[in-house]
Amino acid sequence: MNRETEITFKESAAAAARTARRADLGHSARQWLGYAAAYGFMTVLALLFMIPLLWMFSTSLKSRQEIFAWPPDWIPTSPQWFNYASAFEKYPLARFMLNSAFLVIANTIGELISVPLIAFAFARLRFPGKRILFVLMLSTMMLPGQIKLIPLFSMFSRLKMIGTYWPLILPSFFGNPFFIFLMVQYIRTIPRELDEAARMDGASTWTILYRIILPLSRPAITVLVVFTFLWTWNDFLQPLIYLSSFDSYPISVGLAFFQGRYSVEWNLFMAATLISIIPVLVLYFFAQRHLIGGISSLGLKG
Amino acid sequence: MMQRVSTRWIALLVLVALILPNVITLAQDNVVTIEWWTVNSEEYSEEAQRGLAAQFEATHPNIRVNVTVLPESGFDERMTTTLGAGEGAPDVAFFWNTNWYPQALDLTPYIEADPDLGPETYFENFWLTRAVWQDKIVGLPLGVGANFVMYNKAVFDEAGVEYPTADWTTDDYLEMAAALADPDQRRWGGDRPRGPFRAIWRNYGAFPYSDDSTTVDGFLNSDASVAAYTWLWDLVASGATPTPADLEILGTEGTGPIDLFLAGRLAMATLNQGHMLNAIDAGVEFGIVPEPQVEGNERYVNAWSLTASIWSGTQHPDEAYEFLSYWVGPEGQRYLMENGNLFPSIPEVLAEYENAETDYAQAFFSVLEYRQVAEWTNAHPCNSTVLRAAVDAWDLINLGEIERDQVEATLDGLVEPSQAALDECVARLGG
Repeated sequence: MNRETEITFKESAAAAARTARRADLGHSARQWLGYAAAYGFMTVLALLFMIPLLWMFSTSLKSRQEIFAWPPDWIPTSPQWFNYASAFEKYPLARFMLNSAFLVIANTIGELISVPLIAFAFARLRFPGKRILFVLMLSTMMLPGQIKLIPLFSMFSRLKMIGTYWPLILPSFFGNPFFIFLMVQYIRTIPRELDEAARMDGASTWTILYRIILPLSRPAITVLVVFTFLWTWNDFLQPLIYLSSFDSYPISVGLAFFQGRYSVEWNLFMAATLISIIPVLVLYFFAQRHLIGGISSLGLKG
Repeated sequence: MMQRVSTRWIALLVLVALILPNVITLAQDNVVTIEWWTVNSEEYSEEAQRGLAAQFEATHPNIRVNVTVLPESGFDERMTTTLGAGEGAPDVAFFWNTNWYPQALDLTPYIEADPDLGPETYFENFWLTRAVWQDKIVGLPLGVGANFVMYNKAVFDEAGVEYPTADWTTDDYLEMAAALADPDQRRWGGDRPRGPFRAIWRNYGAFPYSDDSTTVDGFLNSDASVAAYTWLWDLVASGATPTPADLEILGTEGTGPIDLFLAGRLAMATLNQGHMLNAIDAGVEFGIVPEPQVEGNERYVNAWSLTASIWSGTQHPDEAYEFLSYWVGPEGQRYLMENGNLFPSIPEVLAEYENAETDYAQAFFSVLEYRQVAEWTNAHPCNSTVLRAAVDAWDLINLGEIERDQVEATLDGLVEPSQAALDECVARLGG
């Protein structure tokens, strides 16, 4: 290779490197712009969805006259932080939240015991009348809760359970048709070969359920736990009907006390509501990965 | 010797152990527990009501009152469920829904035997509209409330408009609302009546149908009724009043536009004594006038009291009446006035109100003297069937769907279906 050829080659190589660098730069700039646009769009969307929450927070720091003033002030001129203290002074919010937490735990335990058992039986076992029983169970989902309210009240009244937590806890130990349906569908997606292999290794039906099916059903169980939490935490009607003592009310009923006969103390109400949703937000924060995975694998939407 | 003493002690202890529970049970048997359901509201707090129950128990050692305080927004659901189930309902509670009246104990024999309590104890018009139903005494009226127009003095001063006076008319209302409205500040002059069944329609002299419950034509579409609807049309067309959507969104859970009023965005609003207390707490300068009159006509007020009753399924009617007559009698209402914000339905107790001499209290008390919208509606059980049509016409105007010259024709068009509904209702109730 003579010197001229060597120079030409080096120049060509340098030019190619420059072109590649430019291409790289162009590519990374485009990628960066793409990320920026995507994140910008998502941030705008997140802010949009957070407006109600921000409005709640803003309202919780306002005086009563400021709440509906025009033009609205997002940042109150003198934040009334004592609204939070007033909300706690006015009603035993901590007690209400503890009661809700108790109901959530008890219901979750109940559902975790009953739902997998019933769902496994429907999904894997053979017994006479299985289809009819499954359809019967599904049909109970079609009945609006309000229709069942009076017969259920009558039943619990005869069992002397009115004024106690039993009417709010006991049903969860007998399974929730919605969760049973979900679990049945999920268990059906688990290959039967796994059961059969375990059985050939000497596993009993119980062992198959607890060692094979349940560990593989984690997404469905997460959905069950999170939905049980949310539904129990937010349930207003049933605690209202069955409970009679101020000391036993959950937060859903407790918050309703902020609405008077003629008006609502919006600032205190918003302060109390913000505090009451903290456990829900914390739960979602920790469970979101499993929850989203569970929801997508179960095909649940909005 | 020691053994004999021990045996005696053991025997004594066994004897006491056997007798004591029976003695306690006997003592408990003499104490009757009654269930009292109530709500927590601006007028009677949970604390005040528990205090009232404790005071009652102190003077009635044979009766224990088990108080259940429910949220205002859930009381109807709880009562309807228990009354529907026919069990688990309280011995004493508010029976503020007329659908519950059939399950209220008839208090006539108790009232006749009670030397301290009777129709003369209460404001006559509240007794007639809230205690008496189908010739039975279904309860006792607790507290009084009424609608009136509250005006925000700061807004009036800023707009340079004179305050309204008690003798103002519906035409004055239109003029003032227009003068006070300021679209740039998103401020409205006055709100609009939410239904024809309130005082304004009656002030025009309108009724849904004849007093003998036979004829709609000439009443729903009478000149008086057309004039009332036309007044509403003019108010809506003036743009000086919030739209139904504005009121729905900003109207505080359907309890009236108090928040808009407190924020100074509504110069005049038809509110009530509970809102009046809100405005005092908020430090807003306000005045009170009755709803505007129509010259030459009798004036009405939309007023109410809450019917407190005994459930007909109670196992302890005598003890329940003891408590009811205490709660809704002079002693109980005085206690709730002094320890809460109740305006008693007993004139002599209301006269003891500590701020009775204030302008707002005087204005509120004067409104209570007018005839009540409920006098007619309570006496005519089929009124809601015809009022439904009247509300439809009201809504058409509110939504801007009919022109001014179509008001009369619209009401004429509602006569036939309303007549059919009235006939059906009257026949269903046995004439």
